[in-house]
Amino acid sequence: MPSVSSQIKRGSAELAVLTLLAEHPLHGYEIAKQIESQTGGVLRFDMASLYPMLYRFERKNWVKAEWQTLLNGRRRRCYRLTASGRKQLAPLRAEWRAFFQALQSVTGFQNA
Amino acid sequence: MPDWKQIVGKRLRVLGVCSPEFTEELAGHLEDSYEALLCQGLPAEAAFHRTMRQIEVHGKSWFVLRFLKEDLMTDFTRKVALPGLLTFASAMVIAWALDIAHIQPKTIFLTNGLFLSLPIAWLCLLPFCGAAGALVSRRNGGSWLQRIVASLFPSSIMGLVLLLIFVAGFAISRFVPDSGWNWALAAPGLALGLLTFTVLTAIPLLLGAGAAERVGKASSRTACNI
Repeated sequence: MPSVSSQIKRGSAELAVLTLLAEHPLHGYEIAKQIESQTGGVLRFDMASLYPMLYRFERKNWVKAEWQTLLNGRRRRCYRLTASGRKQLAPLRAEWRAFFQALQSVTGFQNA
Repeated sequence: MPDWKQIVGKRLRVLGVCSPEFTEELAGHLEDSYEALLCQGLPAEAAFHRTMRQIEVHGKSWFVLRFLKEDLMTDFTRKVALPGLLTFASAMVIAWALDIAHIQPKTIFLTNGLFLSLPIAWLCLLPFCGAAGALVSRRNGGSWLQRIVASLFPSSIMGLVLLLIFVAGFAISRFVPDSGWNWALAAPGLALGLLTFTVLTAIPLLLGAGAAERVGKASSRTACNI
Protein backbone atom coordinates (compact mmCIF):
# COMPACT_ATOMS: atom_id res chain seq x y z
CA MET A 1 0.00 0.00 0.00
CA PRO A 2 1.51 3.37 -0.95
CA SER A 3 2.17 5.63 1.99
CA VAL A 4 1.20 9.28 1.94
CA SER A 5 3.68 11.91 3.03
CA SER A 6 2.89 13.69 6.27
CA GLN A 7 2.51 17.07 4.58
CA ILE A 8 -0.19 15.82 2.23
CA LYS A 9 -1.84 14.08 5.16
CA ARG A 10 -1.83 17.23 7.23
CA GLY A 11 -3.39 19.23 4.44
CA SER A 12 -6.09 16.68 3.78
CA ALA A 13 -6.84 16.00 7.44
CA GLU A 14 -9.04 19.04 7.90
CA LEU A 15 -11.12 18.16 4.86
CA ALA A 16 -11.45 14.50 5.86
CA VAL A 17 -12.48 15.19 9.45
CA LEU A 18 -14.89 18.01 8.62
CA THR A 19 -16.48 15.91 5.86
CA LEU A 20 -17.05 13.00 8.23
CA LEU A 21 -18.50 15.26 10.89
CA ALA A 22 -20.81 16.86 8.33
CA GLU A 23 -22.56 13.49 8.03
CA HIS A 24 -23.08 12.84 11.73
CA PRO A 25 -21.48 13.51 15.12
CA LEU A 26 -18.61 11.19 16.01
CA HIS A 27 -16.14 10.78 18.83
CA GLY A 28 -12.37 10.79 18.31
CA TYR A 29 -11.88 7.04 17.99
CA GLU A 30 -14.74 6.75 15.49
CA ILE A 31 -13.28 9.57 13.40
CA ALA A 32 -9.87 7.87 13.28
CA LYS A 33 -11.39 4.46 12.49
CA GLN A 34 -13.72 5.73 9.79
CA ILE A 35 -10.98 7.63 8.02
CA GLU A 36 -8.73 4.58 8.15
CA SER A 37 -11.37 2.18 6.89
CA GLN A 38 -12.81 4.48 4.22
CA THR A 39 -9.35 5.16 2.76
CA GLY A 40 -8.25 1.53 2.99
CA GLY A 41 -5.60 2.48 5.54
CA VAL A 42 -3.89 5.06 3.31
CA LEU A 43 -4.90 7.89 5.63
CA ARG A 44 -4.35 7.09 9.27
CA PHE A 45 -4.40 9.63 12.07
CA ASP A 46 -2.71 8.87 15.32
CA MET A 47 -3.95 10.40 18.55
CA ALA A 48 -1.23 13.04 18.58
CA SER A 49 -2.41 14.35 15.21
CA LEU A 50 -6.13 13.94 15.64
CA TYR A 51 -6.82 15.51 19.02
CA PRO A 52 -4.80 18.73 18.64
CA MET A 53 -6.68 19.23 15.37
CA LEU A 54 -10.09 18.56 16.93
CA TYR A 55 -9.28 20.95 19.76
CA ARG A 56 -8.22 23.58 17.23
CA PHE A 57 -11.51 23.13 15.37
CA GLU A 58 -13.32 23.51 18.67
CA ARG A 59 -11.50 26.74 19.46
CA LYS A 60 -12.37 28.06 16.03
CA ASN A 61 -15.98 27.06 16.68
CA TRP A 62 -16.05 24.78 13.64
CA VAL A 63 -17.07 21.85 15.82
CA LYS A 64 -18.85 21.55 19.14
CA ALA A 65 -17.96 18.76 21.51
CA GLU A 66 -20.42 17.24 23.94
CA TRP A 67 -20.11 14.38 26.38
CA GLN A 68 -22.54 11.61 25.57
CA THR A 69 -23.26 8.42 27.42
CA LEU A 70 -23.27 5.43 25.10
CA LEU A 71 -25.53 2.42 25.39
CA ASN A 72 -22.80 0.54 27.27
CA GLY A 73 -22.75 3.33 29.86
CA ARG A 74 -19.40 4.78 28.78
CA ARG A 75 -18.92 8.47 28.27
CA ARG A 76 -17.46 9.68 25.00
CA ARG A 77 -16.83 13.22 23.79
CA CYS A 78 -18.70 13.53 20.51
CA TYR A 79 -17.91 16.21 17.97
CA ARG A 80 -20.51 17.70 15.70
CA LEU A 81 -20.05 20.24 12.95
CA THR A 82 -21.37 23.71 13.71
CA ALA A 83 -22.88 26.09 11.19
CA SER A 84 -19.54 27.89 11.11
CA GLY A 85 -17.73 24.61 10.39
CA ARG A 86 -20.19 23.81 7.62
CA LYS A 87 -19.45 27.20 6.07
CA GLN A 88 -15.75 26.37 6.26
CA LEU A 89 -16.19 23.01 4.58
CA ALA A 90 -17.64 24.28 1.29
CA PRO A 91 -14.64 26.42 0.23
CA LEU A 92 -12.26 23.75 1.53
CA ARG A 93 -13.91 21.16 -0.71
CA ALA A 94 -13.83 23.53 -3.67
CA GLU A 95 -10.15 24.23 -3.03
CA TRP A 96 -9.22 20.55 -2.94
CA ARG A 97 -11.37 19.78 -5.99
CA ALA A 98 -9.56 22.51 -7.92
CA PHE A 99 -6.24 21.17 -6.68
CA PHE A 100 -6.99 17.61 -7.81
CA GLN A 101 -8.28 18.78 -11.17
CA ALA A 102 -5.14 20.82 -11.68
CA LEU A 103 -2.98 17.87 -10.68
CA GLN A 104 -4.96 15.58 -12.95
CA SER A 105 -4.49 17.84 -15.93
CA VAL A 106 -0.72 17.91 -15.36
CA THR A 107 -0.07 14.31 -14.48
CA GLY A 108 -2.87 12.60 -16.40
CA PHE A 109 -3.97 10.70 -13.29
CA GLN A 110 -7.53 9.48 -13.43
CA ASN A 111 -9.88 8.72 -10.57
CA ALA A 112 -10.17 4.99 -9.91
CA MET B 1 -9.49 -4.37 31.90
CA PRO B 2 -6.65 -1.82 32.25
CA ASP B 3 -7.48 1.48 33.94
CA TRP B 4 -6.93 3.69 30.90
CA LYS B 5 -7.75 6.90 32.70
CA GLN B 6 -4.99 6.27 35.21
CA ILE B 7 -2.52 5.25 32.49
CA VAL B 8 -3.17 8.35 30.39
CA GLY B 9 -3.15 10.63 33.42
CA LYS B 10 0.20 9.26 34.58
CA ARG B 11 1.90 9.42 31.21
CA LEU B 12 0.64 12.66 29.82
CA ARG B 13 0.17 14.92 32.81
CA VAL B 14 2.86 17.35 31.77
CA LEU B 15 2.77 21.15 31.66
CA GLY B 16 -0.96 21.18 32.35
CA VAL B 17 -1.71 20.01 28.83
CA CYS B 18 -3.68 17.04 30.02
CA SER B 19 -6.83 18.32 31.74
CA PRO B 20 -9.08 15.77 33.48
CA GLU B 21 -11.56 16.11 30.63
CA PHE B 22 -8.89 15.47 28.00
CA THR B 23 -7.51 12.56 30.03
CA GLU B 24 -10.95 10.99 30.02
CA GLU B 25 -11.29 11.55 26.28
CA LEU B 26 -7.94 9.94 25.47
CA ALA B 27 -8.65 7.11 27.89
CA GLY B 28 -11.90 6.47 26.03
CA HIS B 29 -10.01 6.37 22.74
CA LEU B 30 -7.51 3.85 24.10
CA GLU B 31 -10.26 1.78 25.63
CA ASP B 32 -12.05 1.56 22.26
CA SER B 33 -8.78 0.67 20.50
CA TYR B 34 -8.02 -2.02 23.05
CA GLU B 35 -11.46 -3.58 22.74
CA ALA B 36 -11.31 -3.51 18.95
CA LEU B 37 -8.02 -5.41 19.09
CA LEU B 38 -9.51 -7.95 21.51
CA CYS B 39 -12.43 -8.40 19.12
CA GLN B 40 -9.93 -9.08 16.33
CA GLY B 41 -8.76 -12.03 18.43
CA LEU B 42 -5.56 -10.62 19.89
CA PRO B 43 -4.58 -11.87 23.35
CA ALA B 44 -5.07 -9.32 26.11
CA GLU B 45 -1.36 -8.65 26.60
CA ALA B 46 -0.64 -8.10 22.91
CA ALA B 47 -3.73 -5.89 22.61
CA PHE B 48 -2.53 -3.86 25.59
CA HIS B 49 0.94 -3.34 24.13
CA ARG B 50 -0.40 -2.38 20.72
CA THR B 51 -2.80 0.09 22.31
CA MET B 52 -0.04 1.59 24.41
CA ARG B 53 2.04 2.13 21.28
CA GLN B 54 -0.41 4.88 20.33
CA ILE B 55 0.86 7.08 23.13
CA GLU B 56 4.36 5.67 23.32
CA VAL B 57 5.37 5.44 19.68
CA HIS B 58 6.40 9.08 19.43
CA GLY B 59 7.11 9.57 23.10
CA LYS B 60 4.98 11.64 25.41
CA SER B 61 7.05 14.76 24.93
CA TRP B 62 6.25 14.74 21.21
CA PHE B 63 2.58 14.40 22.05
CA VAL B 64 2.76 17.33 24.44
CA LEU B 65 4.77 19.40 21.97
CA ARG B 66 2.10 18.92 19.32
CA PHE B 67 -0.42 20.40 21.72
CA LEU B 68 1.87 23.23 22.75
CA LYS B 69 2.55 24.04 19.10
CA GLU B 70 -1.16 24.08 18.31
CA ASP B 71 -1.71 26.26 21.35
CA LEU B 72 1.09 28.65 20.44
CA MET B 73 0.18 29.00 16.78
CA THR B 74 -3.50 29.76 17.36
CA ASP B 75 -4.09 33.43 16.52
CA PHE B 76 -0.32 33.91 16.64
CA THR B 77 -0.39 37.52 15.45
CA ARG B 78 -3.03 38.76 17.89
CA LYS B 79 -1.98 36.77 20.92
CA VAL B 80 1.81 36.53 20.56
CA ALA B 81 3.36 38.70 17.83
CA LEU B 82 1.62 42.01 18.57
CA PRO B 83 1.99 41.82 22.38
CA GLY B 84 5.56 40.62 21.82
CA LEU B 85 6.35 43.57 19.59
CA LEU B 86 4.82 45.89 22.19
CA THR B 87 7.11 44.36 24.82
CA PHE B 88 10.11 44.77 22.53
CA ALA B 89 9.22 48.34 21.54
CA SER B 90 8.68 49.43 25.15
CA ALA B 91 12.00 47.84 26.17
CA MET B 92 13.78 49.71 23.37
CA VAL B 93 12.09 53.03 24.25
CA ILE B 94 13.22 52.63 27.88
CA ALA B 95 16.77 51.83 26.75
CA TRP B 96 16.74 54.92 24.52
CA ALA B 97 15.35 57.13 27.31
CA LEU B 98 18.01 55.90 29.72
CA ASP B 99 20.67 56.62 27.14
CA ILE B 100 19.36 60.16 26.69
CA ALA B 101 19.38 60.58 30.46
CA HIS B 102 23.05 59.47 30.44
CA ILE B 103 22.33 56.47 32.64
CA GLN B 104 25.03 54.18 31.34
CA PRO B 105 25.36 50.41 31.80
CA LYS B 106 27.80 49.25 34.45
CA THR B 107 30.87 47.84 32.80
CA ILE B 108 32.78 45.00 34.42
CA PHE B 109 36.15 44.31 32.85
CA LEU B 110 37.16 40.68 32.57
CA THR B 111 40.38 39.04 31.42
CA ASN B 112 41.64 39.03 27.80
CA GLY B 113 40.04 42.38 27.00
CA LEU B 114 36.53 41.03 27.47
CA PHE B 115 33.97 43.04 29.42
CA LEU B 116 30.47 42.58 30.70
CA SER B 117 28.09 45.45 30.15
CA LEU B 118 25.29 45.36 32.73
CA PRO B 119 22.41 47.77 32.00
CA ILE B 120 21.17 47.59 35.59
CA ALA B 121 18.63 50.44 35.38
CA TRP B 122 17.19 48.97 32.18
CA LEU B 123 17.01 45.49 33.69
CA CYS B 124 15.16 46.94 36.71
CA LEU B 125 12.55 48.51 34.41
CA LEU B 126 12.08 45.47 32.17
CA PRO B 127 9.44 43.80 34.40
CA PHE B 128 7.02 46.55 33.31
CA CYS B 129 7.61 45.62 29.66
CA GLY B 130 7.13 41.91 30.36
CA ALA B 131 3.96 42.68 32.29
CA ALA B 132 2.62 44.87 29.47
CA GLY B 133 3.19 42.14 26.87
CA ALA B 134 1.62 39.45 29.04
CA LEU B 135 -1.40 41.63 29.87
CA VAL B 136 -2.05 42.54 26.23
CA SER B 137 -1.72 38.88 25.23
CA ARG B 138 -4.10 37.93 28.04
CA ARG B 139 -6.58 40.60 26.96
CA ASN B 140 -6.47 39.17 23.44
CA GLY B 141 -7.29 35.74 24.85
CA GLY B 142 -3.74 34.35 24.87
CA SER B 143 -3.05 31.14 26.78
CA TRP B 144 -0.39 31.02 29.52
CA LEU B 145 2.18 29.77 26.98
CA GLN B 146 1.34 32.58 24.54
CA ARG B 147 1.59 35.15 27.34
CA ILE B 148 5.04 33.89 28.34
CA VAL B 149 6.28 33.87 24.74
CA ALA B 150 4.93 37.41 24.23
CA SER B 151 6.69 38.68 27.34
CA LEU B 152 9.97 37.01 26.33
CA PHE B 153 9.97 38.54 22.86
CA PRO B 154 12.79 41.08 23.55
CA SER B 155 15.10 38.37 24.89
CA SER B 156 14.40 36.15 21.90
CA ILE B 157 14.96 38.93 19.39
CA MET B 158 18.20 40.09 21.03
CA GLY B 159 19.46 36.51 21.28
CA LEU B 160 18.64 35.95 17.63
CA VAL B 161 20.38 39.18 16.56
CA LEU B 162 23.51 38.24 18.53
CA LEU B 163 23.59 34.80 16.93
CA LEU B 164 23.11 36.31 13.48
CA ILE B 165 25.98 38.75 14.08
CA PHE B 166 28.16 35.86 15.22
CA VAL B 167 27.28 33.72 12.20
CA ALA B 168 27.73 36.67 9.82
CA GLY B 169 31.10 37.52 11.39
CA PHE B 170 32.22 33.93 11.06
CA ALA B 171 31.02 33.73 7.45
CA ILE B 172 32.83 36.95 6.55
CA SER B 173 36.01 35.65 8.17
CA ARG B 174 35.94 32.64 5.84
CA PHE B 175 35.97 34.81 2.73
CA VAL B 176 37.86 37.92 3.81
CA PRO B 177 41.49 37.33 4.72
CA ASP B 178 42.71 39.25 7.78
CA SER B 179 39.16 40.08 8.80
CA GLY B 180 40.24 40.16 12.42
CA TRP B 181 38.03 37.23 13.45
CA ASN B 182 39.36 35.76 16.64
CA TRP B 183 37.69 32.69 18.09
CA ALA B 184 39.25 33.36 21.49
CA LEU B 185 37.36 36.67 21.63
CA ALA B 186 34.30 35.91 19.52
CA ALA B 187 33.08 32.81 21.36
CA PRO B 188 33.30 34.24 24.91
CA GLY B 189 31.95 37.53 23.56
CA LEU B 190 28.91 35.71 22.20
CA ALA B 191 28.47 33.85 25.47
CA LEU B 192 28.64 37.09 27.46
CA GLY B 193 26.26 38.82 25.03
CA LEU B 194 23.78 35.98 25.29
CA LEU B 195 24.09 36.01 29.07
CA THR B 196 23.46 39.76 29.32
CA PHE B 197 20.87 40.30 26.61
CA THR B 198 19.05 36.99 26.61
CA VAL B 199 19.32 35.26 29.97
CA LEU B 200 19.52 38.32 32.21
CA THR B 201 16.75 40.12 30.33
CA ALA B 202 14.51 37.04 30.40
CA ILE B 203 14.46 37.01 34.21
CA PRO B 204 12.91 40.49 34.79
CA LEU B 205 10.60 40.00 31.81
CA LEU B 206 9.33 36.75 33.30
CA LEU B 207 8.97 38.39 36.71
CA GLY B 208 6.84 41.07 35.10
CA ALA B 209 4.77 38.47 33.28
CA GLY B 210 4.29 36.62 36.57
CA ALA B 211 3.14 39.79 38.30
CA ALA B 212 0.77 40.54 35.42
CA GLU B 213 -0.59 37.04 35.74
CA ARG B 214 -1.41 37.62 39.40
CA VAL B 215 -2.98 41.01 38.65
CA GLY B 216 -4.99 39.48 35.80
CA LYS B 217 -6.23 36.65 37.98
CA ALA B 218 -7.11 39.01 40.83
CA SER B 219 -9.02 41.35 38.52
CA SER B 220 -10.93 38.47 36.91
CA ARG B 221 -11.85 37.24 40.41
CA THR B 222 -13.07 40.73 41.29
CA ALA B 223 -15.07 40.85 38.07
CA CYS B 224 -16.66 37.50 38.99
CA ASN B 225 -17.53 38.76 42.47
CA ILE B 226 -19.20 41.83 41.02
